Amino acid sequence: MNRPLTTLVWLLAFTALAMLPQVLSVKYYLHLSILALIWVIVAQGQNLIQGFTGYVSIVQAGFMGIGAYGSTLIGIHFGWPIWATIAAAPLITALFALLTGYPSLRVKGHYFAIVTMAFNLIIVIVLVNFRELTRGEAGISNIPKPWDGDRDAYFYLALTLAAAMTLLAALIARSRVGEILRAIRQNEDLVGAIGIAAWKYKLFAFVISAMYAGLAGALYAHFQGFINPEIFGVAQSLDAILAVILGGTGTIAGPVIGAFLVVFLPELLRFADSFRLILYGLILVLATIFMPIGIVGVAKTVLARLHRPGARHDG
Amino acid sequence: MLIEILQQTINGLAIGGVYVLIALGLTTVFGILGIAHFAHGSISMFGGYLTYFLMTGYGLPLIAAIPIALAAGVLLGALVEMLAYRPVRHANHINAFIVALGLTMMVEGINLQFFGHEQIVIPTTLSRVFDIKGVTVPELRLYVILSAILLVAAMMIFVEKTKTGQAIRAVAENRDAAILMGVNVTTIPLIVFGISTALGVAAGIMVGALFAIAPGIGEGLVVKGFAVLILGGLGSFPGAILGGTVLGITESIAAGFISSAYKDVIAFAVMIIVLLVRPQGLLGRAP
Repeated sequence: MNRPLTTLVWLLAFTALAMLPQVLSVKYYLHLSILALIWVIVAQGQNLIQGFTGYVSIVQAGFMGIGAYGSTLIGIHFGWPIWATIAAAPLITALFALLTGYPSLRVKGHYFAIVTMAFNLIIVIVLVNFRELTRGEAGISNIPKPWDGDRDAYFYLALTLAAAMTLLAALIARSRVGEILRAIRQNEDLVGAIGIAAWKYKLFAFVISAMYAGLAGALYAHFQGFINPEIFGVAQSLDAILAVILGGTGTIAGPVIGAFLVVFLPELLRFADSFRLILYGLILVLATIFMPIGIVGVAKTVLARLHRPGARHDG
Repeated sequence: MLIEILQQTINGLAIGGVYVLIALGLTTVFGILGIAHFAHGSISMFGGYLTYFLMTGYGLPLIAAIPIALAAGVLLGALVEMLAYRPVRHANHINAFIVALGLTMMVEGINLQFFGHEQIVIPTTLSRVFDIKGVTVPELRLYVILSAILLVAAMMIFVEKTKTGQAIRAVAENRDAAILMGVNVTTIPLIVFGISTALGVAAGIMVGALFAIAPGIGEGLVVKGFAVLILGGLGSFPGAILGGTVLGITESIAAGFISSAYKDVIAFAVMIIVLLVRPQGLLGRAP
């Protein structure tokens, strides 16, 4: 697709989303849509490290937890206003990401995935056991909500932030940094060989992706009003990976579509009840085998074919 | 103090044996196919559940249930290779890992569906406790340690001495050369997955008898298995054995002397320190 057409599609999608609170009569769907918008931020962050840089990180939900607990605890102990705590959340998360990213990024491929997952497990263990601070498994309730819990207003907040974060991701992807990140994914040794310190860029991608997650975590906490360690486990980190894969790895639209899928798909599979987890896993396996380029990838291929009539159809 | 250290070391050896068995399966699969077989833990727990089910549902004795569960493991491992991993063999390695994550969800779902949410303990009659100069050694723990040693030795002999073992090592060393030498690279992954899964099932049974099996245990175990690989060094058999033992003992001593709630954190901290100081692992070759 050409540039103006792409911009038009984005604007249409944004307008359609902005009309949702007026259109949706079932309040539960509005609730899910807000969650999906928060997950758009998580998935955009995951895509920066997983999609562009080619490092599958399994700690995104853990970083969400740090953002959520960070924002909540600062509010409780220092009495900061909600906006200040939400703004502080990505910064706290960035600090943790710097500390964990340095050792994790010394290894590649699967090892990186496993080490980051170990960090996610550590975060959950600390959240469960450091009761004096986190109140353990029971979690923290009555977290203050802005606008007295007005859902429509929160929807627009989530929408604005999700759009801004998507735009930021697009700007990063288009910049020289984005080019280097993609080069690292394709051939890290070559990047090093032409005199670029790849580790700086990898750490940058890791920390930025963590800041996305931290922001999303804070938004989650002040939306739901309740957090406990279970919400920020490895299973949720896998959801972030799933969102990127299903939507389209290394694209900007992919994580948006993927985030809505991972929030709404389990709801749609509710009819399957206890088979839900099996079905969900099966979809993931089948999607990876038969559609590794994701929904956006497939759409792009189809559009490219339509634009070139007479192009080969054997595929 | 000394007695307490010895006591925790014995405890650590038992759990270390479980880690070694899990890690051996993972390292063999990784060596041959370059796949981080993340579903290994959940499939191993399926084996543990199956043993329990055969005993309580069909009234089989433990000694009869174990071989059936091991055979089921061989079959399951081969199926997983054929249906899930083979289609993504030539794709990016990330794809295989994501397939592994999907498989984990499926197997966890199957475990929940068929065996429920409640934790189960595989019943054994091995309840005697030996007392060796103040160190208590439960009979069950001793048998677990001995069977782990036996299985590891059998695996070593198989890989080092038999023709199939040679072929497995050849594929791990150089896939293309192995094909030229007439090694069947279609059946080797099947065999590797079968054996690895059977080792995992053995570990699952041990966990079920020593502690308990519950949802989520398998995922924790596979992460420990990978931690062992990172500790010991990629694709190294002796590394997996050393790494598993070290991790098991570290964890036990940490649980005994520092904090049992944070024992996993300490185990992972050891792994991360090793990564920082020696990224290729304790016994791994320098890159």
